[in-house]
Amino acid sequence: MSRKVIPFVVAFVLICLVMAVSAVFAFSGAVTAEKFGGSVTWSQPYATAESMKVINLMGDDQDELFIQNTSNVTIFDGSGNALLNQNYQSPKTTLGDVDGDNKEDIVVFYVGNQGYAVDVISNGKVSTLAQSLNIGLPARVIVVRFASGPQIVLGDSSGGLLSLSLSGQPLWKYTVGSEEIRGMDDALIGGKTNLAVASHDGWVVVLDSQGKAVWSKNQESLRRMRAFDLNSDGNSEIITGGEYGALFVYNAVDGSQMYTQGMGQAVSEVRVVELNGEPSSREFVVGGKDGGVWAFSFNGTAKQIWSGSLSDKVTEISGIDINGDGAEEAVIGDDSGSVAVFTGSGSRNNLDSHSSGITRIDVGKLNGERSVVIADGSKVDVDKLNFSSIPGFQYTPLVVGVIISGVILIIAAILVSIPKRPELKVSFQDKSKESLEAERRMVKESIADVERLRKAGEVTGDAYLARLKRLRGDLAENETAFKTAGFPIKVETIQCPNCGGTLELGMDKCEYCGQVLLS
Amino acid sequence: MENFICVGGILLVFVLIIFFYLLNTARKRNAPTTNKIGKKDYLPVYISLADKPQSIMQGMDRLRIEVQRTEKAGDKWRWVPLIIFFVGVGLMSIDLLLILLGYMSFIFIAGGVALWIAAIVMARGLRKSDSQDFAPRYNGTKTILHTLRDDLRPSTTFLGHLDLTGALLPTKVARTSKDSQDRTTEYFRDEWLALKAKLYDGNILRVSAIQKSKKRKSYTKRSRISGKYKTKPEKFKGTEHDLKIRIVANPEVYTVAHTSPTFKHGLNIGKFTISQLDTEGGIISFVANSPFEEVEHENILQVIQSAYSLLQRKAA
Repeated sequence: MSRKVIPFVVAFVLICLVMAVSAVFAFSGAVTAEKFGGSVTWSQPYATAESMKVINLMGDDQDELFIQNTSNVTIFDGSGNALLNQNYQSPKTTLGDVDGDNKEDIVVFYVGNQGYAVDVISNGKVSTLAQSLNIGLPARVIVVRFASGPQIVLGDSSGGLLSLSLSGQPLWKYTVGSEEIRGMDDALIGGKTNLAVASHDGWVVVLDSQGKAVWSKNQESLRRMRAFDLNSDGNSEIITGGEYGALFVYNAVDGSQMYTQGMGQAVSEVRVVELNGEPSSREFVVGGKDGGVWAFSFNGTAKQIWSGSLSDKVTEISGIDINGDGAEEAVIGDDSGSVAVFTGSGSRNNLDSHSSGITRIDVGKLNGERSVVIADGSKVDVDKLNFSSIPGFQYTPLVVGVIISGVILIIAAILVSIPKRPELKVSFQDKSKESLEAERRMVKESIADVERLRKAGEVTGDAYLARLKRLRGDLAENETAFKTAGFPIKVETIQCPNCGGTLELGMDKCEYCGQVLLS
Repeated sequence: MENFICVGGILLVFVLIIFFYLLNTARKRNAPTTNKIGKKDYLPVYISLADKPQSIMQGMDRLRIEVQRTEKAGDKWRWVPLIIFFVGVGLMSIDLLLILLGYMSFIFIAGGVALWIAAIVMARGLRKSDSQDFAPRYNGTKTILHTLRDDLRPSTTFLGHLDLTGALLPTKVARTSKDSQDRTTEYFRDEWLALKAKLYDGNILRVSAIQKSKKRKSYTKRSRISGKYKTKPEKFKGTEHDLKIRIVANPEVYTVAHTSPTFKHGLNIGKFTISQLDTEGGIISFVANSPFEEVEHENILQVIQSAYSLLQRKAA
């Protein structure tokens, strides 16, 4: 192929590659220019929130902000004014309708003056439901809506469970392992609610409304347990995150293991986030102690969608549809105060960081505006998140591809315009018979001269062979010139079939490569 | 932050290297190539001579013009890689602007990097069209041929070769020797000019210019004090020139004198000293030796001219 054509062929191949890659990027939607931002609507000092929720608690058709830490339960209205401020010793809280008014109440499990007690805060009014309870230091509390009726289940720091009726009467007791209860959640079995409980020493138990174990399992020490019906089949999946990085997904029906993966670091948080906007299946996001973030989809078994990272321990994960596309983004906070938004494709966008570690994140309508509430070690901020994107940006890879292709074409054209470097081994040869004969004599004299030098020991080894090879080559060229000009010539050279070097006719072995010659 | 500074610093160094490479391509400031002994490298030309003087000289001029044409064709586009580099910078700055505005985008940076790669490829291509200079021996040989052109017998040709591919090639190692410390010394023999001509007066002239060089190869030795192994680089030990000339005198025209005041053993002629001289059998055969690394064409012609003083024209 001509050297004028080859650069264009190479350029064409490169252009095809570049445009193919550009098209893949453009039409896969992988390239976007999106910006997430937030502005603080109001902020209140509140240290190290343990539990937080935007919810209507005062019966006024407006959502309030409920927040609880290790010594206090507070309700802020939509503008940040405290509607309730109640101190407790070691409180643990949950939300549920206890008084039957179809509005959520706050259930507080705490250490009271007369031992362990449970308070209910309904419409801002505090009433004691039970006290002097036979249970240990508060660890978790949950209101479970069993098919037979709601129950309040208390969990303590040594694995003890105590179920109370909505009137405060003890119903049953159970012990899960011997360490702190680390998770209590509703677990559906055949569409009916059961209770999933896990303790720090690795016990996972599903209990029915009578406090009877449906099944129990033991695994490595665990930090987190959540139960969700991920694939909407009426049976929950129980997700546990281990102290040593094991992530398990169990079937709530029988405790069979549906998925497991080692995350390489302790699992510090697990939450469901509707990342793909397809509501028949839920995705879940896992956060690690060293800042790792992983998103999984679930359809009978879990499949990792993407992974990312933050700079410190992931302390909270919350799913919020910021850009209004029907899919939630994962808003994730870490122990260093960083807050980042991870989109459905896993791209990370940082929000303003906080001066202390993030403890809780929640979303809801406050004062009629959709807000994100972020609590850190010292305060709680109510932010208004915003989203902007550059329309049509996803097609920019095609523009970049066209520019690169144009440059490749220009380079090919320029390289083609440069003439080939002239051959630096040239021969100026007169084609007359006399001249060719004289040249032949000269070459033979030179060969004889080299032989003489070798015998005299002046030239040895490779230098002798190299010089001889060149002179024999000249002799072969001379023979060719004779033949081309049509003059008779007695051929005296042959070519080695192995190395191509020119040899004298009659030689049995190639002097250059050692090939045996049979001619 | 330290990681950012470290990675940023490394990237900056890479960008600067690319920039100066392209800038030097544009300004044609390539580092001159040198051979193993630090001497300037010349264009490695090998010419077989078997033609009339005029054809050879025209061919040599044509070769020079072709080399220069290739080089000039490349020179026209030398600024293009640098322009492509700046187009890449422009593309990347779009992404930097977007990042400053809070959007995360790397597509233009990727495009810019691709353009930089294209610019480097093009610069390499353009640098390949660069040529080294022709060796002074190229012009010198042409002058020798020009000087002898009228002395050549009509309808005959010059025969031989001009080999300017280099004096220290592995294929030109004539022999090697080892000293008491097991160090290898290579002896090079570069017959860069071989010329045979039938002259107008019936004589046959053979000229052979040989550069003999000596080089000690690199070796590793152990220090007696510290016990560490040290590698010593190769060392160029010197070079000299031999000019071997043989004139077969036409016995019908000349008688050969044994000696002459202007040409005898041990005589200095220009850069050469006559080291061997033999005039037996009507053939003048001698070797002139020069300790200089480079000998000019004037010296070679001067020696040939002096050798002719041994020829005495017979009476008609």
